[in-house]
Amino acid sequence: MSLKNLIIAFVLGIAMAAGIWTAINMQRANATLVTATRLPAAAELPQVSLLDHEARAIDERIFAGQWDLVFFGFTHCPDICPITLQILSAAKRQLADDDFEPLPRIVLVTVDPERDTPEKLAEYIAAFGDGNLGITGDLDQIRKLTASLGIYFQKQDTDDEYYSVDHSAVVIVMDPDGRFHSLFSSPHVIENFVHDVPLLVKHVGNEL
Amino acid sequence: MSLRSLLVFSIVLLLAIMLACSTDDGPPLVVSDVEITSPMRGMSMSAGYLTLDNKGQNEIRITHVTSPQFAAVEIHETIVENDIARMRRVDELLIAPGETVRLERRGLHLMLKQARQDISTVNLSLYSNELLLLTLVTRIEEAS
Repeated sequence: MSLKNLIIAFVLGIAMAAGIWTAINMQRANATLVTATRLPAAAELPQVSLLDHEARAIDERIFAGQWDLVFFGFTHCPDICPITLQILSAAKRQLADDDFEPLPRIVLVTVDPERDTPEKLAEYIAAFGDGNLGITGDLDQIRKLTASLGIYFQKQDTDDEYYSVDHSAVVIVMDPDGRFHSLFSSPHVIENFVHDVPLLVKHVGNEL
Repeated sequence: MSLRSLLVFSIVLLLAIMLACSTDDGPPLVVSDVEITSPMRGMSMSAGYLTLDNKGQNEIRITHVTSPQFAAVEIHETIVENDIARMRRVDELLIAPGETVRLERRGLHLMLKQARQDISTVNLSLYSNELLLLTLVTRIEEAS
């Protein structure tokens, strides 16, 4: 091989290596979770007895069978709760438009079972799309579930029926085995769910 | 002073008064970007968002808000810290001269309690103690 051909081959080799390196790094960047945090190992849930929004008795196995985006809020929350559920709903619609499967289910677990009856939940979650799940029930059982997930909530008494409940603003992700898989920290943005949910489902991305 | 001089003086004085009145800069409190959300299904409560500009020379103090379409209107603030959301009632809003205060999602907002009936428009009156600062009318925004 002549010196000229050797130089050409060397340059082409460098260019090819650079291209491959760039492609790998771009793929790595897209595979990096934006706001979600995946647990090193999915955590089992404790046994709980609750009610769904159709007043049916359910237990922790309600989370098995599909990916769930679970938010802990209450229907008398005028601001952060409807905003979060609207974001989850919009993200799910965008994933559907992108033909992503399997689509996650949106779940609202009330931190205010005193006011959030199954009927109230059913009406409320219907405003955020079809196929959503509402969960209420005995306060102690809800506390048992939230404690296992690191979810905080505390009622703030007022003079009227419009008391507020302080609560965690994270979105918990449950895997199809019904285990605590990952979580999204606030503030919540539609694009972050659209980006990270497919990565979580495919078991790639950053770990804790 | 002659009658002619008196007449000239009166005209000059009148013009001076008219000039002084014409330099009025308009109302000090300007409200914009008003949005009242539709009550969620099965609920009688709405949230209100708006921008308040103090165009005047003095501090503006908004102590309460009323609406004939709701039993009560309160000012609240959502505070999210370390991923915990808290909502607290705010007793009054202080707007310094030249300052803008925004009532927006995930922050300060109006909590409109107990809608009296099916509503499509909302009247809001902003008060500083007993003084009515401003009244506005806006349409309900359907949740998107």
